[in-house]
Amino acid sequence: MYRYDDFDRNFVAERVAHYRSQTERYLAGKLSDDEFLQLRLRNGLYVQRLAPMLRVAVPYGTLSAKQLRMLAHIARQYDRGYGHLSTRQNMQFNWPDLAEVPDILEDLATVEMHAIQTSGNCIRNVTTDEFAGAARDEHVDARPYCEIMRQWSTNHPEFDWLPRKFKIAVTGATTDRAAIAVHDIGLRAGLDAHGKVVFDVYVGGGLGRTPVIGSQIYSGLPVQHLLTYLESIMRVYNRYGRRDNKYKARIKILVRAMGAEAFKAKVEEDWQDIKDGPSTLLDAEVERMVAAFEPPAFEKLENDTDALDKLRFEHPEFGRWLKHNVKPHKQSGYAVVVLSTKVTGVPTGDVSDEQMDAVADWSERYSFSELRISHEQNFVLPHVPMQHLFNLWQAATAQDLATANVGLLTDIICCPGGDYCSLANAKSIPVAEAIQQRFDDVDYLYDLGDLDINISGCMNACGHHHVGHIGILGVDKKGQEFYQISLGGHSGHSGLPPSLGQIVGPSVAREEVTDVVAAIFEVYLQHRLEGEQFLSCFNRISIDPFKEKVYANAD
Amino acid sequence: MPTLIKAAADGWAIASETESADIQWQAPEDWNSGDALLLTVDLEPLAEYAQAERIAIEFPAFNDGRALSLAVLLRTRLGYTGELRAVGAVHEDILHYMVRCGFDAMEIPDDRNVQIALELIRPYSNVYQGTVDNPEPSFRRMQRG
Ligand code: HEM
Ligand code: SF4
Repeated sequence: MYRYDDFDRNFVAERVAHYRSQTERYLAGKLSDDEFLQLRLRNGLYVQRLAPMLRVAVPYGTLSAKQLRMLAHIARQYDRGYGHLSTRQNMQFNWPDLAEVPDILEDLATVEMHAIQTSGNCIRNVTTDEFAGAARDEHVDARPYCEIMRQWSTNHPEFDWLPRKFKIAVTGATTDRAAIAVHDIGLRAGLDAHGKVVFDVYVGGGLGRTPVIGSQIYSGLPVQHLLTYLESIMRVYNRYGRRDNKYKARIKILVRAMGAEAFKAKVEEDWQDIKDGPSTLLDAEVERMVAAFEPPAFEKLENDTDALDKLRFEHPEFGRWLKHNVKPHKQSGYAVVVLSTKVTGVPTGDVSDEQMDAVADWSERYSFSELRISHEQNFVLPHVPMQHLFNLWQAATAQDLATANVGLLTDIICCPGGDYCSLANAKSIPVAEAIQQRFDDVDYLYDLGDLDINISGCMNACGHHHVGHIGILGVDKKGQEFYQISLGGHSGHSGLPPSLGQIVGPSVAREEVTDVVAAIFEVYLQHRLEGEQFLSCFNRISIDPFKEKVYANAD
Repeated sequence: MPTLIKAAADGWAIASETESADIQWQAPEDWNSGDALLLTVDLEPLAEYAQAERIAIEFPAFNDGRALSLAVLLRTRLGYTGELRAVGAVHEDILHYMVRCGFDAMEIPDDRNVQIALELIRPYSNVYQGTVDNPEPSFRRMQRG
């Protein structure tokens, strides 16, 4: 993991001091509500329907045991004993006291953490593959480049006051687990013919009201040019992005209005001036970052499948967990473990201080003190020796973190919705719960196979409904909460090109949602070929049979 | 009248009122080489602007970052070296960005506190990026790690 040097430590300390002065000036009446709003947003502090919400940055989703313990401490000390894993790999606290936030930030700084640029119209936390550095299908570990971008984007003098928020995602693996196609900038890291790191650059993807798949504007950008090329993209967006209407202010609208080719030409024009200039990365700097993410000291271990098979046989629940929550590791004898937070009755992504402390303990015992947060709102232990899987499973079961449902129907992505969010058209958490309750038969779940259900309470799409295999969107119909259902969306997960969901038909009332979902499953189970997953089946048979079935009884 | 603060050899200071009194700011359509030029944030940085006697960029709102990019382009692409002044909705918490993007004079509006503004010009002793006032990013400027 990257460790702060004196420079980083000093910077964060000064950032906290600056924020403290902003809070004090606000409380003393020297900053207006609106001015303070802009300033506190750049430090992760929202004020929501019920209380302020502090979003703590977890750079590219990577945490140490010590850092997670600090988050547990903050949940206990300043909040109500829990935190929330966000779909952008961060941790949110929902009940901090505004006046105490500078103290929280000071506590965070002691473990090299902060809340800088986790909200506001600036470059946000760069996200990546939650299995980076561990996944068997990885070509390039994206984390060193994420850290380079984190430093470059932190308090950037020119790009901290953009038309709208700006999100960058990077993947370095065959399967894109970072959803780069639906980010403002998506980067696909790979190796060129000489084994050097290069990036394919995509711009203008996004969800929200206007979902768009990003366009590629550069193929094979050499790593030394990464920052200057990004600078040119940001400059074009900062100058020409719309500021008159916040719903048209994302870069995707600019890229669409100009056309991807014209946008690219504008970027290239700017780039000619700064390419090879002082912001060009030095080999030594890239090497410093790569060294910071050196693999841990793996032991030489065998893939001990016989022992696992025996345990699997004796404990069918363990077998199911192995199948769904344990992923292949690049190092033999090791595995990647996903600790699912998706338990029926618990709001998606909520974790208690006790769970956090437990996960921190396990990461020390079993995973070189490293852990991750995934954009599916689960914890990941990236490097677990196979011989410890059974012990870990038992411990995780006792903490309700071993539901064997990763990638399955009940592993739902869901925004806070009408229970917590002032922008909502409809509640989303009760919908997720109703689905989890209705389909609680494990055999049925396993039979259905890989299935992403994503739920958003309004078109801001925090729950990524456009890229759910089944997407559920809360809409307002004459003051009533209704839900629009779409099918076939995904963000490039399954090796297929990413696609946005298609709407099945008119929206339905909350009581009907689970019936519609059940009808969708029936169509799938009826039409699927041997071993065919939901998404492939949908692509083969199209939306029509689903439409017919779902609206069969409608007049 | 807003208070002008300027970069001086020994730090930043309040400039005398007379310094602003006689300036005839011209919008681009009325501007001739050698005049003082007043730009809005949506304009393109034309090469001839490098000949301005001085340039001001007007912030339409304190959180409008276009002025910062325009300033960078004037200083780098055009190589403009004269006074670059921030006017309009100048806010004390944005000053440090302005300085790093090449502004060397800022008009602090009457409803802001000049003393606080002077304290907030450089809240950070070190920064990651290269910028107009120091083009080397931290990884070139010093030994990191
Ligand atoms: C609780 C109150 C929340 C409010 C008021 C809120 C508000 C918004 C708004 C207005 C947008 C749209 C921005 C745009 O289109 O430019 C948005 C997008 C987003 N939100 Fe939230 N949000 C909330 C909570 C959350 C939470 C808890 C998460 C994570 C679990 C989240 C994740 C996201 C993501 C990933 C997007 C980006 C979608 C995109 O790329 O367009 N939000 N949010
Ligand atoms: S999608 Fe809408 S309802 Fe859900 S959290 Fe985002 S803004 Fe709120």
